[in-house]
Amino acid sequence: MALLSLSDISFGIGQHQILRNIAFDVAEGDIVGLIGPNGSGKTTLFNVLSGFLKPSSGAILYREGDITALSAARRSRLGIGRVFQNFGIFRDMTLEENVLVALEALPKDRRIQLGDLRTVVGETLEMVGLSSHAKKKAGCLSGGQMRLLEIARTLKSGKELFLLDEPTAGVSPKMTGQVADLITALKREGKTVLIIEHDLPFIGSICDRVIVMDVGQIVLQGTPGEVKKSKELQEIYFGADPTT
Amino acid sequence: MNFAWHIITLIAIQMPAILGYNFVFGKGKIFHFGPLGVSLITAYASVLTLVHTQSFVLSFVAGLCAALLVSLLFAWLSFRLEADGLGVISLAVHLGLMAVVLNSNVLTRGALGIPGVKRMAFLQSVSDFAIFSGVIAVIAIIAAYFLNRSAFGRRLSALAEHNWYAEAVGVNRRHTHTWAFVIAAIGSTFSNFLFPQYLTLLHPSDYQFHSFVFYIMVIVAGNPGSVLGVATSTALLMILKESIRFIALPAAMIGPVRLMLFGAVLFAAVCWRRDTLFPPKREV
Repeated sequence: MALLSLSDISFGIGQHQILRNIAFDVAEGDIVGLIGPNGSGKTTLFNVLSGFLKPSSGAILYREGDITALSAARRSRLGIGRVFQNFGIFRDMTLEENVLVALEALPKDRRIQLGDLRTVVGETLEMVGLSSHAKKKAGCLSGGQMRLLEIARTLKSGKELFLLDEPTAGVSPKMTGQVADLITALKREGKTVLIIEHDLPFIGSICDRVIVMDVGQIVLQGTPGEVKKSKELQEIYFGADPTT
Repeated sequence: MNFAWHIITLIAIQMPAILGYNFVFGKGKIFHFGPLGVSLITAYASVLTLVHTQSFVLSFVAGLCAALLVSLLFAWLSFRLEADGLGVISLAVHLGLMAVVLNSNVLTRGALGIPGVKRMAFLQSVSDFAIFSGVIAVIAIIAAYFLNRSAFGRRLSALAEHNWYAEAVGVNRRHTHTWAFVIAAIGSTFSNFLFPQYLTLLHPSDYQFHSFVFYIMVIVAGNPGSVLGVATSTALLMILKESIRFIALPAAMIGPVRLMLFGAVLFAAVCWRRDTLFPPKREV
């Protein structure tokens, strides 16, 4: 059964069409990579999926329910978590508060008891080795630490579908490994991940399926191996080979 | 001694309204000229009800209803407009409300105001007022302090830092901001229920732009969003404001000098806290 299903999604600003008839399904527990050159519409598609932008046509189904008209907050409460390219954490708040604000926003049926909140916050920070910084402002963290905090917070707040927008961007090579481990841990826990990434070997190592976008539409999809061998992918990234 | 009681009373009476607005502007970073309109309508609704019914309970309830109504109007506008649009529209709404008050001569006596506002039986002297409004102010500070540190306070801070990031973790912007406006309305009700009674006069000139400048100045100087900071700056700046009376100046000069002083304090406070007030916009 598809956890997420997009049919005929289009989005434009004025005459400029940014997304054109996007349609694909994501099965529960899959890790799906979304790749394509800059300006191909990947982040816009994530903004539409998260509920920040309303599509001009098409429908988004999540667990077979139509969520196209729901707000971003409602979608988050349904279990769709977003990790932003530029670190979606609250830099003026402490690490503890960053986790608390997400846990307190859970819907009533999944809300954590007041007495257990601090324990879950502690576990979340412990998970990414940030317990000793609990009382510090999140703005003091390095890029990699911010990313780990954001993913751990999303995981602990019970999300089922993760939208990760370039999770290794702005992260040191050493910490990229930790981020990759955390994403792999998501898969082990049966979470579903849709990930935008430019690092093709990284995508190849963690994804079950890859979708390639260009100029606002899907041009190719398949397993990482199939996509890697495709001439179309090379043309999108490097242009057509003039000798052929 | 009476002057000390007077200062305490003024500080205490203004405290709930300023702490309420601190949630909207200081903590929530929603800048608008709404408090002027809310205060004006609250005071008139409260006093007119008192004049016609002689009931303080009904007067308070009428003030609260009016405050909630106008405050929710501003909340609704804030969901539909960008920051600059909200600023302009809220100013227009205030001017519209002021025009209604000034021109409804039969009901409000226009620019003459309403004299002889009755005081509650236990508030006959300045010291009575100081003690009663002092208690209200302390309760307001404690309530604001705990609200600030609650889940609501965290949601408001998260939204102020970045709407999208906050909504992505499940924070409901409409719900949170509406509550901030409701809290501001409740604060405004206490202040504007007591203030005309203290003066025994309701005058529209008390709800002009300079009152709003004082609100902004206090919040900016006290550190936007900080309850204890704003409470302290309310006290200090009220003392500064009232102390000008003791400078040997012609009576006609006191008003302009006070405004110049406000301007200087506001300028300095904005320069000092510009990163807090106008944080750089973060991209998604």
